[in-house]
Amino acid sequence: MARALIRRVVFGLIAVAGVVVLAFLLEFVVPGDPAKAIAPRAQSPAVLASIRAQLHLNQPLIVQFAGYFGNLLRGNLGTSYIQRQSVASLIGPRLLTTGVLALAGVVAEVIIGGALGILATLYGRVRALISAVNLTLLAIPIFVLGLLLLLVFGFQLSIAPVTGGAGPAQLVLPALTLGLIGAPWYAQIVADQMQDSLASSYVRTAVSKGLSDSYILRRHVLRNVLSPAITMVGLDLGSYLSGVVTVEVVFIWPGIGLLAVNSLHNLDRPIVMGTVIIGAVAVVFFNLVADVLRMFVDPRTREEM
Amino acid sequence: MTPGQSEQAPALEIADLNVRYGPVHAVRDTCLTVGAGQVVALIGETGSGKSSLALAAARLLPRSAAVTGQVAIAGKEVSGLGGSEFRRVRASLLGCIAQDAMAALNPVVPVGRQIGELFAVHAGMSRPQAAEAAVAALAQVEIRHPAAVARLYPHQLSGGMRQRVMIAMAMALAPPLIVADEPTTALDVSTQAEILALIGELRARMRSGFLWITHDMGVVAELADWAAVMYAGRIVEQGPVDVIFDAPAHPYTEGLLATRRDLRSGAPGAPLFQIPGSPPGPGEEPPGCPFAPRCPRATAICNEVDPSLEPAVGEGGAGLAGGAGSMNGHRVACHHPAADAVGAWAAPAGPAEKPAAKTGDNLGTAGTVAL
Repeated sequence: MARALIRRVVFGLIAVAGVVVLAFLLEFVVPGDPAKAIAPRAQSPAVLASIRAQLHLNQPLIVQFAGYFGNLLRGNLGTSYIQRQSVASLIGPRLLTTGVLALAGVVAEVIIGGALGILATLYGRVRALISAVNLTLLAIPIFVLGLLLLLVFGFQLSIAPVTGGAGPAQLVLPALTLGLIGAPWYAQIVADQMQDSLASSYVRTAVSKGLSDSYILRRHVLRNVLSPAITMVGLDLGSYLSGVVTVEVVFIWPGIGLLAVNSLHNLDRPIVMGTVIIGAVAVVFFNLVADVLRMFVDPRTREEM
Repeated sequence: MTPGQSEQAPALEIADLNVRYGPVHAVRDTCLTVGAGQVVALIGETGSGKSSLALAAARLLPRSAAVTGQVAIAGKEVSGLGGSEFRRVRASLLGCIAQDAMAALNPVVPVGRQIGELFAVHAGMSRPQAAEAAVAALAQVEIRHPAAVARLYPHQLSGGMRQRVMIAMAMALAPPLIVADEPTTALDVSTQAEILALIGELRARMRSGFLWITHDMGVVAELADWAAVMYAGRIVEQGPVDVIFDAPAHPYTEGLLATRRDLRSGAPGAPLFQIPGSPPGPGEEPPGCPFAPRCPRATAICNEVDPSLEPAVGEGGAGLAGGAGSMNGHRVACHHPAADAVGAWAAPAGPAEKPAAKTGDNLGTAGTVAL
């Protein structure tokens, strides 16, 4: 099992390296001259040239990449073009802020989605209503839902702050947005899995043992629902940590997503690269965590690993 | 009449049982008794209603099934009990052994706990006590290192071990009745023999009666005291196993046995015996005997009147109903039951030579008996 874990880590690192290469190449596809972004007022080509020379932008692509990758291997993400600070020191606090939002969002979607899925399975009467809710949530673009919530709870009812920031009061609406957008997926997984489980031979065995419905649900059915849900939580945490861009922009939540968007505008390549790499690492890491967790919940996956 | 010879109440008494799935009448007016400590084999093709009958007796059919009739287990009338009332007593009245133990055990719960919850819920034991009792139950079914096995998950066990776990679970509370649905079908031959030996031994020790669904005539011969043959939702013949084997009265039973005889003693390469045609599908049952379209002995009355289950006339005896043959409980639903050991299928009969008038349009299509 340890060997399997090590293999996964190695594959994960290879995936991250691949992302680094792709992101680096993409940077150069984005039109624009970082030197002009750094010194917008400088008219003299000599000044711009010296900026480019300073940032090694005049060197061949492969040399630039080798330099960047070498630094990366030493744990150095580089320095922001604009803010003249290390990328790590800029991303660090943002990572924490985004982490809080990602976690709150995942908790919200698990609770909302899980409840919808369980209700839809157990109570036939609300099933149609719940699938209508699911469809609606799936159809709404995330920024529309975010703006809608902001409009209703922020501006109309004035019970949520509209100014942005990273406080607990400001967390509610973006987390709810993530929760509502993600909920249908969890509802679907939970309902499917529960229906399979309820129709299974082992539930019939449990019935034949004279166990009560609620006991069977708790001890036999829900345990079998857990495993796929954990996989999805891992995927969500990873992808949210790479920046929930839309939600952060709508709610002015000062996380990685907002930083990445601003840096893209400024052609601040080191920061963009930094956020991409953090995102890739987060996805790999949380998938791994989810796999390990699943081994505890579903013993069959222990042999698969 | 009743197969149970002891003074004890029979393990299972079914009377006038009907099972319907919407318009499909899966089990029709069926009566069956499993004597205390007796093994009754329920034989029939897929779709004959044998599983529906057994699941109805165990009250494990889905809610979409409409069940009528009386079911008594160990003398206790259970068909009138409400859902939660029955739930409380069911595990001490009957245990179930499924065909596919891998599917019938929860994949994410250790097997010891799956057995132990029976003791925890029904015998009021604490968790550690229940775990201990589960280990003892595993030891009962001759599992080596039961304490270690109790901590394993179903996928970590072999097929035979899983079936032993199922048996331990079914017999945990020593119920008077065990409903076993082809418990050895999924196993290889040597494991099958081990499991059969184990069940034979446990049965002698625990005095549980078995309702044993099977299509393996070898298993029937080895283990069963009594055999009931089902066709198209009816029991068409039942009686002591040796009588059924030696002097089957229903042409369908004869056909089943002929298939088995071919398997055992037929010349290599010779075609296996098959009952021509196939059972009536839902909604296409003839008004008379459901077997008439496939039957070599069918006459006009067979196509008009559905025969009821009557005492069979004994071997060679031309007596009236209630004669010597009925004393052993042998009953058959046929207008022309075999009166001698020469079976209906003894002479090779091609479809063209069949003496009886045929109504079925599946005449001549040599459907395989799915046995």
